[in-house]
Amino acid sequence: MNTLTSLTSLLIFPAGLTLLLMGMLYEWTDRKLVARFQNRTGPRWFQPIADVVKLFAKEQITPGIKNPVLFFGLPIAAISGALTAALYVPLLGFAPAHSLPGDLIVTIYLLSLLTMCMGLAGWNTSSRFALVGATRALTQVFAYEAPFLLALLGPAMAAGSWQINVINDYAANHWFIISQPVGFVIALIGLMGKLELPPFDAPEAETEIVAGALTEYSGRGLAMFKIGKSIELVVGITLVSAFYLGGLHGILPFLTKTLGVLFVMTMLQSLLTRLRIDQTVGLWWRFGTILVLAQIVIIILLKGGLS
Amino acid sequence: MNSEQNLQQAEQLLAAWNKETTHPEANRLDAAIVADDLRPAVRALHDAHWGYLSSITGLDLGPDAGQMEALYHFCNGAAIATLRIRLPRTSDVSLPTIEDIIPPATFFERELHEMLGFRIEGGKSNERLFIPDDWPEDVYPLREDFKIEQARPVEGRHADELPEAGVVGGNKFVIPIGPQHPALKEPGHFEFTVDGEIVTAASMRLGYAHRGIEKAAESRNWIQNLYLFERICGICSHTHALAYSMGVEKLAQVEVPARAQAIRELVAGLERIHSHLLWLGVTAHEAGFDTLFMYSWRDRETVMNLLEQLTGNRVNYSANVLGGVKSDVGPEQAKAIKEGLNFLETRIRHYLEVVTTDTMFLNRTRGIGTISYEEAEEFGLLGPTARASGLLRDVRVEAPYGAYTRFPISGVTETNGDLEARCVVRLKELLVSCFALRTIVDNLPEGPLTTKMPRKVPAGETISRVEAPRGELFYYIKSNGTEHPARVHIRTPSLCNWVSVLEKAVGRQLADVPMLIAGMDPCFSCNDRLVTTVGASGDRKTWSWKQLREYGIEYYKR
Amino acid sequence: MRIGTMFKDIVRSFFTKSSTQLYPVERIAPPERYRGILSYNPSVCTGCTLCVKDCPSDAIELVILDRAAKKYVMKYRMDRCIYCGQCVVNCKPKGIGMSNQEWEHAALDQNFMVYYGKELDIAKYLESTAAAPVAKTDS
Repeated sequence: MNTLTSLTSLLIFPAGLTLLLMGMLYEWTDRKLVARFQNRTGPRWFQPIADVVKLFAKEQITPGIKNPVLFFGLPIAAISGALTAALYVPLLGFAPAHSLPGDLIVTIYLLSLLTMCMGLAGWNTSSRFALVGATRALTQVFAYEAPFLLALLGPAMAAGSWQINVINDYAANHWFIISQPVGFVIALIGLMGKLELPPFDAPEAETEIVAGALTEYSGRGLAMFKIGKSIELVVGITLVSAFYLGGLHGILPFLTKTLGVLFVMTMLQSLLTRLRIDQTVGLWWRFGTILVLAQIVIIILLKGGLS
Repeated sequence: MNSEQNLQQAEQLLAAWNKETTHPEANRLDAAIVADDLRPAVRALHDAHWGYLSSITGLDLGPDAGQMEALYHFCNGAAIATLRIRLPRTSDVSLPTIEDIIPPATFFERELHEMLGFRIEGGKSNERLFIPDDWPEDVYPLREDFKIEQARPVEGRHADELPEAGVVGGNKFVIPIGPQHPALKEPGHFEFTVDGEIVTAASMRLGYAHRGIEKAAESRNWIQNLYLFERICGICSHTHALAYSMGVEKLAQVEVPARAQAIRELVAGLERIHSHLLWLGVTAHEAGFDTLFMYSWRDRETVMNLLEQLTGNRVNYSANVLGGVKSDVGPEQAKAIKEGLNFLETRIRHYLEVVTTDTMFLNRTRGIGTISYEEAEEFGLLGPTARASGLLRDVRVEAPYGAYTRFPISGVTETNGDLEARCVVRLKELLVSCFALRTIVDNLPEGPLTTKMPRKVPAGETISRVEAPRGELFYYIKSNGTEHPARVHIRTPSLCNWVSVLEKAVGRQLADVPMLIAGMDPCFSCNDRLVTTVGASGDRKTWSWKQLREYGIEYYKR
Repeated sequence: MRIGTMFKDIVRSFFTKSSTQLYPVERIAPPERYRGILSYNPSVCTGCTLCVKDCPSDAIELVILDRAAKKYVMKYRMDRCIYCGQCVVNCKPKGIGMSNQEWEHAALDQNFMVYYGKELDIAKYLESTAAAPVAKTDS
């Protein structure tokens, strides 16, 4: 029975198939909201699914690649990283499928695996645009990864554990958005950086480097990267809303809180211009890190003072 | 100083080398000189800051006459001084370069070399700019005896020689932008050598949208050419038609009625609004600010609908005929135009506020690509790109034509010279335009819409200058009394402004390059003068889709 | 120095209708002066062929079967026409007009030749060309 429930939760619900569909749903919501903000109609609900189906049906062209094993293996590694990361977060409000002490670090690492795979994929082809895009993607990782992790560390320190399950339960009674507002802002904007959403989409700057690291991908490889990105969207938002918006227990709180965070992120996407890569790094290392370090210091002091 | 005094001053400056002076038109001076005196004469005009080099026209007078001509046009306000050099039509027609005195002359000289076969001594002007690398040597398209069968690609050479992918010496790396690239709305080829993210060198090749229009014009009659020239560009189309019509009407000595001239100015003003809103959207998109892009293009629909109501089409308005305009402004069109202008003015003020106060957008535009007044003069910039540096070069102000004498426009300049200043100049120009357009609609002079034009235009030559949204548009039209023009030479403003990108890109980040390109508002269709698709096997059939696809796959496998 | 200067636009867009025109479900009627496909009235035509001479793209060909009895057939190539309207301007008796309703010309085949004129004349012309095939000019 245990194996059966484990397999079901891994492959169908709430991870696996349901996760894929949720990824599509969130991607559609994002695109539709951005379109409505820009006074347009936007795509219909099945558009992301149609995109994926179309990409799978298209021919995969392999121009000038240095290492074919990497070329075909990296999309698979990326999507598996994203799917595995989803096992540790409270998807759809249910308890995470697996839970072990320190799984916060594991989840964040697995999400970064996706970005690293994209960076490596960019280096692997001989296209100049891909190389510039890969360089930018990896530079951006160095920029936001530390503040993002520290921002998620705030609630972890307050809850006294590195386990997402424990933090989620602790957060049910403490809304960290109120007690750690700076941390919330940094976590939200760090998430936008992680997902390479505007204004942090320099690695994928369409008007400068065509499509960044994924320029030479087409067909199945591109579809897998895209699916990986939409799963990362769901997992990232789940993490941030679980920590800061009072924990996710139940489907309805899950949907309202995560869609709320998505709404705010979409609004920020529409309002802001893309930053150059040097401006991104400068911004993060000047403001982001300092703010979040200040926040952590305050938490340490408060915790020390309280206990 | 008015035109006469300007011309007298020019005559004095050129007195040492001038062999013969003529005044083909009231505001023009023609000085015949020999090729050896070209450099001192140009230097004299340049050092006295007499105007700017507007264009260099090459003419092939035919194998019978046995001569070729090169005309160097200098414009100062409304006065134009032309240095005319006549050379025998041998196998080696050579001229000294003037690109060290006037840097932008290199583009004009390259065109002379590629299209007509002048050999330019010294400098880089013998490099190719418009013509692909596999065009055969010694075949010059604009010569009278050019046959299309001569245009066969040379075996073994690609249309564009691209350096090897990857590392080119040390840490440097060449990034190609174009011909297909999301940053470019039209094809053009740029190569930026980067070191990490900093650009260290820039070069470009044009000619991807070249359609051989100047040559095609010689085999069509005057009326057909109107529509040919209109389609050189989609957003400056009315100004091309206007410049051509004005030139032909001057040659035929026909006076266009006042109402037609006012309507021409009205359509030109609406086109300017259209063009600048499009430009604003494109610049915002290059910066990554898609919301501004979508909203400015939504508002552009208003002006396109106005133009459709007035002329019958949203792009390529065809409002002009030789001798007047086609369609009148009735009371309902006038009302619609005024309502549309009110709406647009509110929106333009809002965009002006966005462009000057939005912090993130200013991060991408303020202090980037700064060109000082002196540099603008030396580079020979035109249009809003020059006006953003304080250099007021605006044909509507300096040499008003058509209805601009009656409904004048005030020139708009800024002093900073960076990308933000260019945005501000364009938006403020639109506000000036809105005001002028309302005045025109309220005070349209009564009268007929057209006058009679002869079918055979009398012989002569004329120069017609018009302010397109991107700068000064220069038309040189020569007629020999028949139903077809003998030569039409067009110099579009974008050609002069490229220097601002190539010089200013060096030292900046790669991410600034699309913004710099967008900042000078390039119109590739306007400034291209080649791509003949002759089949790879040498036959002149059009390629089938299958052949084209195979060629593409083979090409990229290398 | 502000962040989010387009905030008001974004919020307002939730309360205004989207600007996307849902073509072909929703079609906006073109204005009165729109330049669509040509229309031809043979009964006022004088056969001066000014329209043919000045067409920038050689889209019109006028076949004069009988000038006195006004039997004309106009061969119009829709794919070559650039909808400039010069033929309309040139025609003194206003025999040519441009429709503002018919402008959707996307097609699946390349059959773009349109024949204008009275039915009998067109039939007669087509018969004569079918019977004695004329050398086709370059397409």
